[in-house]
Amino acid sequence: MRAPLDSPARLLTSFGRALLLALVAGVAIAPAAAAPQATPGAPRPPASKPPTAKQPAAKSAAPKPAAKPPAAAPEPMLDEGFEKSVVRIINYSQRGDWFSPWDVTGVRASSGTGFVIDGGLLLTNAHVVSDARLLLLYLHGDPTPHKARAVMLGHDCDLALVRPDEPGLLRNIPVLELGRLPPLRTMVETYGYPAGGDQISSTRGVVSRIETQVYAHSGVDRHVAIQTDAAINPGNSGGPMIQDGKVVGVAFQGTDALENTGFGIPVEVIQHFLTDAEDGKYDGYPDLAILESNLENPAARRRAGMRDDESGVRVDFVNDGGSAEGLLKVGDVLLAVDGSPIANDGSVLMEGLRFDYGLMVDRHQIGSDLRLRLLRDGERKEITVPLVAHPGTSRYASQYDVMPRYFIYAGLVFEPLNVEMLETTGRDWVVSADKRLVQEQIFRPLSDPKALLREPVVLLRRLDDPVNINIAWYRNQLVTKANGKDIDSLGELIDAIESNKAAFHVLELGEPGRFIVLDRKGADEASPKILERYGVEKDRNP
Amino acid sequence: MTVRRLAAFLVVFALGGATAGRAMAEPAHRAGGRQSFENGIVGLTVSAQGWDQDRPWAKGAPQARMALATVVEGPYLLTSAQMVSDATLIEAEKLGGSVRVPARVVLVDPEVDLAILGVDAPKFFDDLKPVPMASSVPTEGAVQSVRWRLRQIEASTSRVSRVEVQVTSLGGLEHPFLLVTTDLRGGGWAEPVFAEGKFIGLTVSQDDQVARVLPVDIINNFLDMARGGKPYPGFANLGLRWQINEDPVLTASLRLSGDPRGVLITGANWGGSACGVMRPRDLLLSLDGHEIDASGYYRHPRYGLLRFTTITTDGHRAGETIKAEVWRDGKNVKLDLPLKAAHTPGDLIPDRVPEQPPPYLVAGGLVLRELDGNYLRSWGDDWRRKAPIRLQLRYWLDSKDQEPGARRIVVLSSVLPHAYNIGYHGLSDVAVLEINGRPIDSIAAAEEAFKHPEGDFHRIVLEPNGQMAQVILDAKTFDAATAEIQESYRVPAPVRTAAPPPEFGAACGG
Repeated sequence: MRAPLDSPARLLTSFGRALLLALVAGVAIAPAAAAPQATPGAPRPPASKPPTAKQPAAKSAAPKPAAKPPAAAPEPMLDEGFEKSVVRIINYSQRGDWFSPWDVTGVRASSGTGFVIDGGLLLTNAHVVSDARLLLLYLHGDPTPHKARAVMLGHDCDLALVRPDEPGLLRNIPVLELGRLPPLRTMVETYGYPAGGDQISSTRGVVSRIETQVYAHSGVDRHVAIQTDAAINPGNSGGPMIQDGKVVGVAFQGTDALENTGFGIPVEVIQHFLTDAEDGKYDGYPDLAILESNLENPAARRRAGMRDDESGVRVDFVNDGGSAEGLLKVGDVLLAVDGSPIANDGSVLMEGLRFDYGLMVDRHQIGSDLRLRLLRDGERKEITVPLVAHPGTSRYASQYDVMPRYFIYAGLVFEPLNVEMLETTGRDWVVSADKRLVQEQIFRPLSDPKALLREPVVLLRRLDDPVNINIAWYRNQLVTKANGKDIDSLGELIDAIESNKAAFHVLELGEPGRFIVLDRKGADEASPKILERYGVEKDRNP
Repeated sequence: MTVRRLAAFLVVFALGGATAGRAMAEPAHRAGGRQSFENGIVGLTVSAQGWDQDRPWAKGAPQARMALATVVEGPYLLTSAQMVSDATLIEAEKLGGSVRVPARVVLVDPEVDLAILGVDAPKFFDDLKPVPMASSVPTEGAVQSVRWRLRQIEASTSRVSRVEVQVTSLGGLEHPFLLVTTDLRGGGWAEPVFAEGKFIGLTVSQDDQVARVLPVDIINNFLDMARGGKPYPGFANLGLRWQINEDPVLTASLRLSGDPRGVLITGANWGGSACGVMRPRDLLLSLDGHEIDASGYYRHPRYGLLRFTTITTDGHRAGETIKAEVWRDGKNVKLDLPLKAAHTPGDLIPDRVPEQPPPYLVAGGLVLRELDGNYLRSWGDDWRRKAPIRLQLRYWLDSKDQEPGARRIVVLSSVLPHAYNIGYHGLSDVAVLEINGRPIDSIAAAEEAFKHPEGDFHRIVLEPNGQMAQVILDAKTFDAATAEIQESYRVPAPVRTAAPPPEFGAACGG
């Protein structure tokens, strides 16, 4: 049983530990697991492999934060006005349960930060307000909780817009304006309510690095992040990073690998989110959905037919359903994107720094056009790529604000294959989950262009009943065929079972030769009784 | 049936006739009496050196092992195959003695984890006696465990815990092991176990106080095969993939009336006994006259319910034919099942390849090698978490799936950095599918493929990995760069090939 949370002071005393753990989980950078790396939909999988005993994680992944700011750094500006604009957000949240997909988890309380922007809105992290059942705001110096709701969520960029239920609540609070990407080695000030405290806190730090990071909230999306040596702790999430009186980032995650290091979401990503949200709907990022190789080796460039003054990357694989389908071919060399030359390592020059060329794609909104210069069969050409999102990449991202999709028949629980389903076997599902499922999730989409357009279906578990108690396989089994029909989505499985008139249902599983059989009549009769006995309200959320 | 050729590491010397003329009579001793075995045990000191799996051209650090060997008729010394694997020197010494003499391997069968050693030193065996062999192991009661400690034998009464079917250390065979609870710690170094004065097995591993004893039934079968005077046939395995058949609904769907029985065949491995004989969706009802229940057990006359997969090792050997009965397409079908030797090197990814140096090729700085369990284990005891997941998946999903035209998986294990191979330095542990348009399933195939560049280039196609699909190298400067890299990184030879795996004929078919 949880005690009611009726005052901010009790948050720490009653829930401090749970809160801290919850947010630590939320802000730790996802380990470089194979899954996100291998996602074809991601702009470019990182070249590094997970740390191994043979090849320990590079300790030099991030430089040590500068010990002292350079003399020329701007002076800190601790202005009362900033504090007023920074709001504490309490989120009582509840998630779907992917192991019992008809059910929900217990209520969790967590605390984060947001700040006032134009339009009577607060900007914060998506992970601060995800899966909310109740959102409460505490304005600076005001002990009164104010109810609010998330009106826009960008889980792929970990940003959200929150609107108080009381109209005009933020009317007299100064709006924070967005600045620009802070130069390296300059100072930024981060405001927030770390560790669940009810007094605002500010920390100063140097911008020590600007590079792409995996955004831990989705666990798979990579965008630019600002690294500072300011301590950013649980509860800081969603707070503004300020320089020269303007917001230059939104604090959002730390890393267990580096002490006293915090990361912020830069203005470019914030602007992309806000522009996307202008039409009242968040669409996310476009995706070329290709894989490519660097061409740093001179022989590789010569074989590709490149001139000495040319550079670029070679297209290795084109997923069906992405922006590049039908426009790019395997073997094409991408020479330039939106007029910026692509280097042989796949980077482009942006803001004086080199970033992966995929960030040029990310600067676009879905529906806009990307210009590519490419070399194909000895011919140089410019093409325009209308940008779309890939529908199949969501299986790699953590899910929020949705309930699990499932189907239960004869006590057998089926779910689509995705990372949430896999995490029912443990956070380290890459090693702990059924190997066929890992293969299907990570590697099949690297060789089958249509794989991401399909939705593999998994027999997750069994609700024990005499009708199913003797089947040989009932945990984490890929279902490849049902009653002779190929199964490429949860809907197809439901159809194959419900349209079957034969005496038996035959389900073929991922392991070659493996299958299970149900007596159709007995299963039909048992199904409603099983649901009732196990307290399952609905047999499906398709 | 054609006698299968065994791999080179299976050194075969027939032992037939070696026992002729020796006195066989041994006094019967009760458990606890030491005189029955103390002149039947010798200590072994084994110097061993495996291969450096990361630099497959180099040997790893030398190691020393202290093990036991048991004197058997011949006279020979019996120990476990693991004790003599990768041995560079084996020495034997007698109880209480101070002189070690060299021993040599006469026969080793890594599949069943047994080895026979000979000692050429004159008079070595004069004051030794072969231990009396039991015909089977007790299933309960007290047994006598021994170990070698400071050149003395330490003995203790232990207790039979149970008989349990487990896979052998190489993973290719299943047979009953005797699990014994003992006070002697740190066992597993081929210590013999006795009951009522007779030898009942060798301890091949020990977990805390529970010793895993390879039972005398298996050892007798091994010694009989070794003495057969013909090429050693080896133990047979079924090479089957199967699932239990406890579900009456599934049984009914296959039109078999009555209670569920037999096991459902889901596949057969190329080279296994069942290949070409049994098919997916057969229900295997009986084997060698033993009825198989729906959980995959049969009733052994001494040990009770045992997994049916042990039938092939229970007094049988490769080369024999046993009877099988399957339910196929609604009918009862009787089959002859010629038994074939378990042969781990016949796997697509052999779990361990004892004695064999890893085949490799250094080509333009790319280090290619054949994938095996030794390589995966080089990530340490925690290799199941640490070894690259894409190689692990191949191991877990495909390791038995060797077939004609796909004999081994060749991996690009690392790149020796050089200006020649710039752009590829970060590549590691990814399977190689093709080189210059030729499919690659051995180091020999890779070596040959590099002799046939595509114009001015070598093109190496990698298994899809999300990082790079193909490696392109300059063919004109390839030989010079390889030589320079070889010298720079002190690689003594750019290539080491291995004898191809044994041929198993046609694929199993559906």
